[in-house]
Amino acid sequence: MNMSLKMIKNDFKRNPSGNIALILFMTLAVTLVVAATIVVVQLTTSMTGMYEIAKPPHLLQMHKGDIDQKAIDKFSSSYDGVTAWQTSPMINVYGDDIKIYGKDLFSLSDSRLDISLVKQNKDYDLLLDSDRNVIKLNKGEIGIPVTLLNSYNINIGDTVELTSKGITKKFKVKTFVHDAQMNSPLVYSTRILVSDEDFEELFGIVGESEYLIETYFTDSSMASKFQTDYENAGLPQDGPSVTYNMIFLLSAFADIIMAMIIILVSILLIIVALMSIKYTLMATLEEEISEIGTMKAIGMTYKDIRNMYLKKYKIMTAVGIVIGYAVALMLSGLFTSHVNNTFGKQPFSVLTISIPILACIFVYFISNYYCKKILKKLKKVTVVDALVVGKGFDKKIRVRDGLYKSSRFPVNLLLSVREVFHNFNGFIIIFISMFIVSAIMIVPMNLLNTLKSKEFIPYMGISVADILIDIDSGENLEKRYESIDNLIKSDRDIKGYEELKTVRVETVNSDNQWMNLSVGSGDNAGKGLMYIDGEKPLKENEIAVSKLNADEMDKKAGDSTVLRFNGIEKKFVISGVYQDVTSGGMTAKSRNSFSGVTAEKYQFIINLNNGVDVEKKASLWSNDLGTGYDIQPMEELIDQTLGVVSKQVQVATTAVTIIGILMIAFIVILFMKLRLTKDSSQIAALKAIGFRTSDVRKQYLYKVSIVSVIGIFTGTIISNIIGEKIISLVFSIMGLGISRLTFIINPWIAFIILPLILLIVTASVTWISTRNIIKYNIISLINEWRCIFENYFKDRRTM
Amino acid sequence: MKIILKTEGLCKEFDGTKILKGINLTVISGEFVAIMGQSGSGKSTLLYNISGMDMATEGEVFFDGENISKFDDKKMSNLRLKKMGFIFQKSHLLKTLSIRDNIVLPGFKANVESRENVNKYAEELMKRTGIDEVANHDINKVSGGQLQRAAICRALINHPEIIFGDEPTGSLNSSASKEIMDIINEINVTGTTVMLVTHDPKVAARADRVIFLSDGNITDEISLGKYEEKNFIERESKMIEWLGKQMF
Repeated sequence: MNMSLKMIKNDFKRNPSGNIALILFMTLAVTLVVAATIVVVQLTTSMTGMYEIAKPPHLLQMHKGDIDQKAIDKFSSSYDGVTAWQTSPMINVYGDDIKIYGKDLFSLSDSRLDISLVKQNKDYDLLLDSDRNVIKLNKGEIGIPVTLLNSYNINIGDTVELTSKGITKKFKVKTFVHDAQMNSPLVYSTRILVSDEDFEELFGIVGESEYLIETYFTDSSMASKFQTDYENAGLPQDGPSVTYNMIFLLSAFADIIMAMIIILVSILLIIVALMSIKYTLMATLEEEISEIGTMKAIGMTYKDIRNMYLKKYKIMTAVGIVIGYAVALMLSGLFTSHVNNTFGKQPFSVLTISIPILACIFVYFISNYYCKKILKKLKKVTVVDALVVGKGFDKKIRVRDGLYKSSRFPVNLLLSVREVFHNFNGFIIIFISMFIVSAIMIVPMNLLNTLKSKEFIPYMGISVADILIDIDSGENLEKRYESIDNLIKSDRDIKGYEELKTVRVETVNSDNQWMNLSVGSGDNAGKGLMYIDGEKPLKENEIAVSKLNADEMDKKAGDSTVLRFNGIEKKFVISGVYQDVTSGGMTAKSRNSFSGVTAEKYQFIINLNNGVDVEKKASLWSNDLGTGYDIQPMEELIDQTLGVVSKQVQVATTAVTIIGILMIAFIVILFMKLRLTKDSSQIAALKAIGFRTSDVRKQYLYKVSIVSVIGIFTGTIISNIIGEKIISLVFSIMGLGISRLTFIINPWIAFIILPLILLIVTASVTWISTRNIIKYNIISLINEWRCIFENYFKDRRTM
Repeated sequence: MKIILKTEGLCKEFDGTKILKGINLTVISGEFVAIMGQSGSGKSTLLYNISGMDMATEGEVFFDGENISKFDDKKMSNLRLKKMGFIFQKSHLLKTLSIRDNIVLPGFKANVESRENVNKYAEELMKRTGIDEVANHDINKVSGGQLQRAAICRALINHPEIIFGDEPTGSLNSSASKEIMDIINEINVTGTTVMLVTHDPKVAARADRVIFLSDGNITDEISLGKYEEKNFIERESKMIEWLGKQMF
């Protein structure tokens, strides 16, 4: 048998747990690297694949009210770079108008999404089924968007009943719709597909009409300039507009966040795996110093000896990588299920297989390079050092006099504390692992808690309260406003409320062009939001703008801008810039009443008296007011808006927590295995002078626990500080309107439960790892040189 | 005369080979017994088995009248801590502690005397053995002789009834060896029983009684009476002559 393979075999026999732990770390790290790569590749290929068929617009302009199609055609046909355009009609209905008869009977009244009925387009912006076929429906059939399946249990064959303006119509659910542009709860709209005949029958009769004016260019980046020119041309623009890039980002948001967490964790795992390699390798070199000396003495070169050790780690890394790759492929369904659900089934392509392989090769080379770097230490060892002086690679232990000064401290604790603080380097692997693992567990956990928390509301451009009531533009807006106003004034359970009227005005962007600005106006507008610059507007001529608007306008707090409304131009001062993840992040707030400007929407932000059941109250008002009002408890609002993102983060957090705990257990096993071997003569010395086995075990328990507590504490603090910055940076890069996120931390989980779990796992594994100390034979360990000598010859004999 | 240590039919087997073959030995309190024998005769094994460092395969060991053969880890550790002291060929001090800290450690652990008293006694021992000047030194920075003196101080810190030594001078030069043996004799004079294994007739000549072990059995013993420096040459000659008979 090959000499190196024999060496590896013997090494495995001698230290099976250490070597298996090393392979496991590598496997875990590679599993996550591959999983993250697969998510990114699948996400990209899925979206590209779906977009190729579905052809979402490069610019979408929504419009409520009549349209002048001829004017649009004239403008678009004469505009350079426009390749196609179309106007798709929609029928907007309320959630209450739609009832589902399936396993349960329910309506979509509590849906936060704006629901529209549409018919299939001809060539562009097509709605697809799960196999990415263009859906064709017959009369009486309906296609439900997959976005709704996150909140409702709807099945193929269920009956959907639409009731609006006295008309009732029933449909059978034929398929689920994969929508290329309205697939994320972050876009606040969803499209239900009906047949052309049904659509024509209902259009203009039920609900309210709205149009999607969609434009395509030779290059999608032209959208921004076109949008400005389009708006300046006075073409239909009574509604939000979204560019292709924003559609892409919002669609991919949940999966990007998950991939980001996995990438972060896998990088940290690779660091831990490399650290473990260093620790094991150094321990092996120390243990085999006399063999190394002998090999040098008989004329083997540094490279010969290095390659013998290197080969073992190369093989172990390769094994870890192969297993990790296979495991990741097997588990890939778990990580890519959301991608498949959203963008339709995407078979694994050559890229899905090959790009992770490239990532694996990269990991292999990093590991190889690192091992070579460690093994350079072999160069410095001379034959005399190794065989005569017995000098190893260990850094000198620091000895500090002073134990005798202690008057009370229990001896085991005293010895442990002194060793940890005077020779911290000996425990560095535990410290760094604890630090890293607590960080990788706490950052996603904090992000998850933040996304689920009611206190995230200010990042959505609304102040925190109990209930939010929205009344959108449409028929009888003022009448509906009055109903709410009456309700608020008469309900004694209401502690206080704020009212916001949303109006559309114009302002000047960074290119000195007029742009639309959606402003929430009210006495308390801008109160309680997350400002990154300045503060809420205090005067009538002040306005606070969202971060994305500030970027678009190139303004900061203190700058002035001009608003155009009612045909007049008025100067406003930017009082502050706040973060807003909703409405594409393009909002503004002002105390100015903008009298004379038609309201697009009213919002009532209501606080109830203590003890009032928020959900019951919201439900009661919904029943009393009937259709046309969107009444949401704030917590439900968070759930509906960010529920999908939270679910993805939850999957990643759960995986990370399990991996983190397993990893810590393996690291402690590995550490204890090597440490006990290294310390065997010292343990024997302690036992010889009268320390019990339980004393020695307690000392290891104390030492590992103290270091763990320091590692966990540092990891927790650092992850709370740096973690926020990393997540904020990612949000900022993604252009989601948040650039400074403050974690909303659940102190019980972040500071008590997670650290305690890690500590309990560490302490238990340490305690179990030391159980064999009772079997230690003092004499054979005292005479360790004799043992090493015997082992040396025993090993040689088995080669 | 109080019997401090007694073995009855003590046997030790290792990997199917009998190292000790039914040793019967009695040691009187205050006695200084040296164990000699050729390499592989079982002398170190005997020492480890009667001191509870290792467990005999057969037979009984009585310490101060108590059968320690069936002691559990707790009882045996307590015995080693409070009633026994050990000096090995290498000092086996703890690498992370200074000389002084190594010495006081068993005293602190035993918790019989106050820590203040333990410290005072450690100072006294270090002065007596001449290592008080290196008390706060790192153990890697002192000589082999100083390390062995520190090991003796550590062995004495809890006022043990018996001191066991396994080749305590084995790794020292002749002058350091003499100094160490002088200290051991001094300890013995104060009433502490001493039992040590040695190859060196010069060391053995300081004992009251020398037993010779061959192939796992006690084959002979010689009484030399209490050690006095002035009659050392005479004891040594007697020892060498007796030893010659044992060897050939």
